[in-house]
Amino acid sequence: MSWDKGKETKSWKDIMEAEKYVYTLGEAGEKFLEGLKEGKIYGRKCRKCGRVYVPPRMYCEDCFEELDEYVTLRSPYIDSFTTIYYDDEGNKLDKPVSIAIIRFEGVKGGLLAYVEGEANQNKNVEIISYDIPLKVKVV
Amino acid sequence: MRPNIYYSKRVGILGSGLTLFRSKMLETPQELAFIAARRALDEAGLELKDIDCVVIGSAPDAFDGVHMKGEYLAHGSGGIRKMVSRVYVGGATGVMVPISGWYHVASGLCEKVLVVAEEKMSGDLPHPQAIFRYIWDPITEKPLNPNLIWIFAMEMHRYMKKYGIKKEDIALVSVKNKRNAINNPYAQLPGQITVDDVMNSEVLVWPVQRLDISPTSDGAAAMVLASEDVTRRYTDTPVWIEGVGWTLDNTSWPGRDLFYPRYLENAAKMAYRMAGIERPNKEIDVVEPYDPFDYKELHHLEGLQIAGRGQAPFLLKEGFFDLDGDIPSSPSGGLLGVGNPIAAAGLMKTISIYWQLKGIAGKMQVKRPVKTGVAQAWGDLMQASTVIVMRN
Repeated sequence: MSWDKGKETKSWKDIMEAEKYVYTLGEAGEKFLEGLKEGKIYGRKCRKCGRVYVPPRMYCEDCFEELDEYVTLRSPYIDSFTTIYYDDEGNKLDKPVSIAIIRFEGVKGGLLAYVEGEANQNKNVEIISYDIPLKVKVV
Repeated sequence: MRPNIYYSKRVGILGSGLTLFRSKMLETPQELAFIAARRALDEAGLELKDIDCVVIGSAPDAFDGVHMKGEYLAHGSGGIRKMVSRVYVGGATGVMVPISGWYHVASGLCEKVLVVAEEKMSGDLPHPQAIFRYIWDPITEKPLNPNLIWIFAMEMHRYMKKYGIKKEDIALVSVKNKRNAINNPYAQLPGQITVDDVMNSEVLVWPVQRLDISPTSDGAAAMVLASEDVTRRYTDTPVWIEGVGWTLDNTSWPGRDLFYPRYLENAAKMAYRMAGIERPNKEIDVVEPYDPFDYKELHHLEGLQIAGRGQAPFLLKEGFFDLDGDIPSSPSGGLLGVGNPIAAAGLMKTISIYWQLKGIAGKMQVKRPVKTGVAQAWGDLMQASTVIVMRN
């Protein structure tokens, strides 16, 4: 924070720093991260409408009821993807990176993931790293 | 400008819901909103499909660590595929949420509205006070690194000096509110404390001490509002919103008197005119003034025209504002006793008045019969106020 007392008085320099933040996960969020450790993707099912949400959460947004059982999700596929050539500071990447939104058959919601192999829409993938971010490989 | 105080639809309250107010709640902000909203729907006897629109209130995004908090909270607040809006007037948000819900119904646009307010502040490290770092003038004020506590310390000091008020007299607010909070099952900091406890607590920023101030909290609150015919269909003991008011005094906090909350006088007069209240100190039976600091409750009782200027501390000492007094103030326990998840705290105060007028306040119920109640919040850059008048 400063101004240039010598020359110009046309601007004031300061920063807006980011604060640290602890995000609590909630019960469903904890279950999701435990699932990653176990090499599983958990979704959570609404007993009223039968819909499964990923990531799992506390409630169904339509029935507005608490969700019930956790289910292990299978058959991940690429809904859409993009290929990134520059990083967010404008530097050209040595190797382009593909990022996809991964969905599971019959499940509401999706997860972002790095993709290995030739990404394409509706292609089935295999999860090769259960982490955040997720890594998947086109099969 | 004179606002049009004649509206087309009378608005009733059908239900309310609160989460516990606590520091470090496990639930995410969305989940807190869901818990409160679900409880309000249950109390109203409605399902989400019955709701026409949703109004969400939350203070600065940075508290929850997510930008666009209105959108973020929407699915937990029942907003999916409905008309959703988020209101934000700083600390005054909690009462602006039901006011906004009110005009959705009063205008005839909607019949049933779910209003939800949420704040999660305990995740901010090292302390949520840092979130206020950038609300000041970036050039003439921010370099001194102000925080709200020392700004309010100056306001408190000015109030004390102007009317010759002793700190001991102000401390009685903290004693009263924490005592009232013992009866509130949602409260974070209830307790039997004494004036000496307040006076001996740690000095933070003179004259503000630890027990003069409300805590850091997480929590959510929700209400269901409905048009008159719907309200009468669902309940035999309706509570009506009869007056609303909100104003901004000055957008620059040094631009106003520190000893008297004129921002509130204007808002209160608007709400009273709409509700047909001519003598607030005779016609109001119970009040929830905004009390993030103990002196602020006194300040606001004066702004609400319930006490004369500089008179609130003397009435307080006589027991005028106790649960069995003439006009009980903060029967819920207020922000000092229940906690201060900002937007949720203001809506909690509105809900407290609803409980009183409905007669469902349990152990918090005030001794005298009540007909008219007022809730109020305060915010923006400390010079905006929101007021809501309810009757049974």
